[in-house]
Amino acid sequence: MFKIILDKELKEIIGTTKFAITFGVCAVLILLAFYVGARSYQSSMEGYNASVTENMRQMEGVTDWANIDHRIILPPQPLAALVSGVSNDIGRTVNMDVRGELRPEGSRFNEDPIFAVFRFLDLEFIFAIVLSLFAILFGYDAINGEKERGTLALSFANSIPRDQYILGKIVGSFLALIIPLMIPILIGCLMLPLLGVPMNADSWLRLGMVILTGTLYFGVFLTLSVFISTLTQRSSTSFLILVVAWIFAVLIIPRTSVLAAGRIVDVASVDEIDFEKGKYSAQLFNENMAAMQSWTQQNYQSDHRLMMEGMQAFRTEQQDLQDENMRLFVEQLNEQRANSSNLRTKVAFSLARISPTASFSLAASDLAFTSMELRASYQEAASAYQQEFAAFMRSKNVDFGGEAYVGHGAPVVVEEPEPIDTRELPLFAYEQPPASEAINDSLPDLGLLFMFNAFFFAGAFVRFNRYDVR
Amino acid sequence: MSQAASSSSTSQSSSQAPEVYSGPRLEAVNLSKRYEDGALALDKVSFKVNPGEIYAMLGGNGAGKTTTINLFLNFIEPSEGEARIDGIVAHKDPLAAKQKLAYVSENVMLYPNFTAIQNLDFFAKLGGKTDYSKDDYRAVLLRVGLQEAAHNKRLKGFSKGMRQKCGIAIAILKDAPAILLDEPTSGLDPSAGREFIRLLTDLRSEGKAILMSTHDIFRAKEVADTIGIMNQGVLVMERAAADLKGENLEKLYVQYMAGHAGSEQNVETIN
Repeated sequence: MFKIILDKELKEIIGTTKFAITFGVCAVLILLAFYVGARSYQSSMEGYNASVTENMRQMEGVTDWANIDHRIILPPQPLAALVSGVSNDIGRTVNMDVRGELRPEGSRFNEDPIFAVFRFLDLEFIFAIVLSLFAILFGYDAINGEKERGTLALSFANSIPRDQYILGKIVGSFLALIIPLMIPILIGCLMLPLLGVPMNADSWLRLGMVILTGTLYFGVFLTLSVFISTLTQRSSTSFLILVVAWIFAVLIIPRTSVLAAGRIVDVASVDEIDFEKGKYSAQLFNENMAAMQSWTQQNYQSDHRLMMEGMQAFRTEQQDLQDENMRLFVEQLNEQRANSSNLRTKVAFSLARISPTASFSLAASDLAFTSMELRASYQEAASAYQQEFAAFMRSKNVDFGGEAYVGHGAPVVVEEPEPIDTRELPLFAYEQPPASEAINDSLPDLGLLFMFNAFFFAGAFVRFNRYDVR
Repeated sequence: MSQAASSSSTSQSSSQAPEVYSGPRLEAVNLSKRYEDGALALDKVSFKVNPGEIYAMLGGNGAGKTTTINLFLNFIEPSEGEARIDGIVAHKDPLAAKQKLAYVSENVMLYPNFTAIQNLDFFAKLGGKTDYSKDDYRAVLLRVGLQEAAHNKRLKGFSKGMRQKCGIAIAILKDAPAILLDEPTSGLDPSAGREFIRLLTDLRSEGKAILMSTHDIFRAKEVADTIGIMNQGVLVMERAAADLKGENLEKLYVQYMAGHAGSEQNVETIN
């Protein structure tokens, strides 16, 4: 019986003009997303290569390592082509310094704000927006539509177990819709290497998991649609309810969660932090000046040279103390901000996960490594490189003092200094964590999507067993 | 078609207990239905439909005709009494009961994007008949009067009469011993109505027990073996059609509907 219902669903859905039109639109959008994503990756890669080359070119002819202006650049992630996540919003360039804070700058949207206006048409967008609507469009009248047509009563004039009927309806609708959609997705996947996106086993695994996540997400809206259609007698009612549910799930809950988290957890802005730093720096400066004055009064000597030497030694000592205090203060501020920011993120994501769309977006961006983790990971990699860079600079006898380093250069006096060899610079090679880590990160969201499916499926199952088929 | 139908029917009966049921195919025993809002839709209705018999249930809107049919189909459960199909109580073993039952609704609405043959194929399979061929479907569609040109056309272009014919074809394909017809001639033109009556008499001659709810007094008189009149959930009259030959059924109907409404002691029975 299950197979008969399943066959009927497949034939009924695939044979309709509605399916042909929506499938055609979705297929074009999916292929377009892959094409645009691949082109965007190529363009980002070209930009990245140009920036790296330009960085090296600027250092050509420089004779003192103290005078270099070195930058590191985050290479584009291959899967950002399909799940852009925050990859276009985070700063990709870091001006390398041997000490102090590193701030990534120059995000793609910052450089080309036009792309931020409507964002990108990527695979995540298609799953989150288009395919969820597609699922609603084909599932909203799964049961009440049959009732309205009179086919439900005619079907149940036969000895059909209700559980098999609803199972056949849900599985049949799911297969009828998802299998055809897999065709353009698979074609798109094959297009990626041909369009110059380097796909290794890790990337394929990630992409496969993104598609699986999207399929689960699609299932959520399909089972929800069938569930709602078992709760209502009229298809127009279920459609209205589902549209409202879609608006909440896709548009309202994720955005509101972030706003609510912002209200619940107060996070100081970067400007506020900078203000605090400036204030403390000024305070330290004043203290330093007062200490210097006090030292001068207490250690006045007629021997000007001796006094200057003593003062220089005291000033250096004071400067080191001031630097250390400032470092500790900045560290404390940054840590406080990072902690509250992490708490806010946790609260926002926990609230947002009421919506399957948020779960899907978070899982997809984790898998594609374009989530907020990318920013943290890049920052971490930049900090690690900073240590390496500082060690290298020290090896080149570049001394530095103060917050922004002041290179005095090696006091080697040569008449005609040789240009530096930039190939000696340690290489910054950013590597994203392995797919297994991304899969682990995405497991809670995958679990939630599975739970949503199970809940709506069970709801439809229970409701249909008491549904009035007349 | 008949070969396929009989083989399928044989295999079904062989898988069940070999006990032969000799009672009425359809039987309502003190059948009552009170809805949750307190409305009494059916009040202790009892009747029988034997093999090879057509029972026409007459009555106005809300008389309880469709409720009776819904109780046989187990779409609703009785508040009291039983609806039996081949001796099986519908609400106690609905799956077994429905195997013995075919149903044609007032307004047959099949799958509009399926052709007539695809619809027949689906519903035949639902009815447990999985070995019919396309030729069998064509044959039964021709038997119910649907022209060959329409067999492979999608249902969405079909008139009500054409859809009704498909519904009857589905009932025939199920080859069940009992058939329930809910206002089957409603909206049919006279020619289609006549064609339908011919089909019913054919089915009766095959030994089917047919329960037909209808407003159509003349068709009921023409084809039924027994006529029951229902009013406000009560079976107010039940007579053999042969006994009504000399009587004006329309007048009788109006008389019962007006004067005998709800009065149980006025039920005339043929038994």
